[in-house]
Amino acid sequence: MSSTIVSTDNLTKRYGQRTVVENVNLRVPTGSVYGFLGPNGAGKSTTMKMLLSLIQPTSGEVHIMGRPMTRATRRGLLGSIGSLIEAPPGYPHLTGAENMRLVQRLLGLNSQQIDEAVRAVRLQDQLDKKVRNYSLGMKQRLGIAMALARQPQLLILDEPTNGLDPAGIEEMRDLLRHLASNGVTVMVSSHLLGEIDKTANVLGILSEGRMVFQGGRAELMTASNPDVLVACSHPVEAVSTLRSFGARQNAAGEVAVSGVDDARTAGIVAALVGEGIGVFGVRREEQTLEDVFRNLTAGGGL
Amino acid sequence: MNTRAVVNEFAKMRHLRVGLVAAFMIVPITGLSLFAVVTNPDFTPNAPDAWNALLAGMSLGIPMLSPLLLAILASRQTDIDHTSNGWLMQSASGLTPGGVCRAKLVALGVVVTTTTIITSLLVLIAGVFMGITVAPPIGHWAGFTACMLIINLSVLALHVLLSAKVENQLVALGIGALGSIVAVFSQGLPAAAAHLTPWGYYALAQAAGYEGAQIKALPISYPSIAALGVLVATIFLILTYRFDRQEA
Repeated sequence: MSSTIVSTDNLTKRYGQRTVVENVNLRVPTGSVYGFLGPNGAGKSTTMKMLLSLIQPTSGEVHIMGRPMTRATRRGLLGSIGSLIEAPPGYPHLTGAENMRLVQRLLGLNSQQIDEAVRAVRLQDQLDKKVRNYSLGMKQRLGIAMALARQPQLLILDEPTNGLDPAGIEEMRDLLRHLASNGVTVMVSSHLLGEIDKTANVLGILSEGRMVFQGGRAELMTASNPDVLVACSHPVEAVSTLRSFGARQNAAGEVAVSGVDDARTAGIVAALVGEGIGVFGVRREEQTLEDVFRNLTAGGGL
Repeated sequence: MNTRAVVNEFAKMRHLRVGLVAAFMIVPITGLSLFAVVTNPDFTPNAPDAWNALLAGMSLGIPMLSPLLLAILASRQTDIDHTSNGWLMQSASGLTPGGVCRAKLVALGVVVTTTTIITSLLVLIAGVFMGITVAPPIGHWAGFTACMLIINLSVLALHVLLSAKVENQLVALGIGALGSIVAVFSQGLPAAAAHLTPWGYYALAQAAGYEGAQIKALPISYPSIAALGVLVATIFLILTYRFDRQEA
């Protein structure tokens, strides 16, 4: 088994002149919960559809479980990949049980596999209801049960928490953790970091079709390089002295300097001391993961 | 052919009232065929051409109702995949949209074949019960039934494609209603004009009709109807193959 269950090489999708996904190199570790983040329209759904070969890349390659995913190989590979893309599936005029039987027949599954999938999403008591009478949360769970029924090695979920209430979101997180603990690799997308950062152990952030970050939470915080904040005796003069660094005074009266590494921070302190300005403290701005995500997807990058 | 996909299409028919639509394809058409005979004061069960009145009734009843009912059948069976995200779900399970359309045609085709044959047999049996003593023109009757079946299946195939491509099912139903009008009025048009639309072929399969004041057996344009079947089958296969390659 490869250590990465999904990998892409320079995956690109263009519609005419418009580039939707550009040179994306995904690496989804086997057994991980991979949080695929990005604002609406960043290209997450398009990327996920390319992973499933539902749309063809303009250039680049997709490898799933070490095999190239193409039209020729997709049928064989899809037997090991569960997915929930866009709206949850489910024929509204049929009951939950009848919908599950469609999946059972389509994939040649046995009743035990269906029962296990239904129990995993705790839908066993609602199967006799018609899907048109399901809440959105129940439809999402049915969609996930359909994806789980084939006992996939990889589960690809596109914004599964969309429209769910907080209890539903928490339930979804529990489900993803449970699946991961059973060895299923889960790739889950969201436009809200808070919805999946507690569950995902690897994050990939997409912005305007480009991958701006991929790695763990700690790496994300480390790599984000927050502003240096200097508390000093004469902030106005300090801003003037550090004009070439793009310094500014913040609401707390500190001098803020963006995009400087530790060596340049030492230079800033030396410059202030040289001008006779008293330096009381130097620190990096505290950032939440949300701040980092927002900065990255607002057109920044690492 | 993906047998599982076809069985699934039958399973999807539950609660869609397909049986009711199928009954509408049998009962009113049979009724229309018999009505033409019952209300005809010149009808004589012992006349050598007594069966022609029933064939003429069917030749009018089938074109009048089938195009709309076929549109309803195809639309209901296809719309469910638009409203349920079914195309994407099946694609992600390895069954492409073209494969789904082919499965729909096979499943609905079984329903349409059954109803067309039952209608034809019911009218034949009704003729016997009405006291027609002369032997039925079995060859002409069977040829007429086969031609109506080919036209029904062709129209059905085109409606499956239309309903799959155009999500607004009012469009499909509107075209079906228009088809019924075209099918009936084509009987008054020259044969060349009847070749221009799929519904016009119902007129080319007309087995009997009035010539002056008398109902007479009419020749069926077998080559034209066979050509329609081949043409529509080719179009259907090409377009569903393209559906297989279209992006989700």
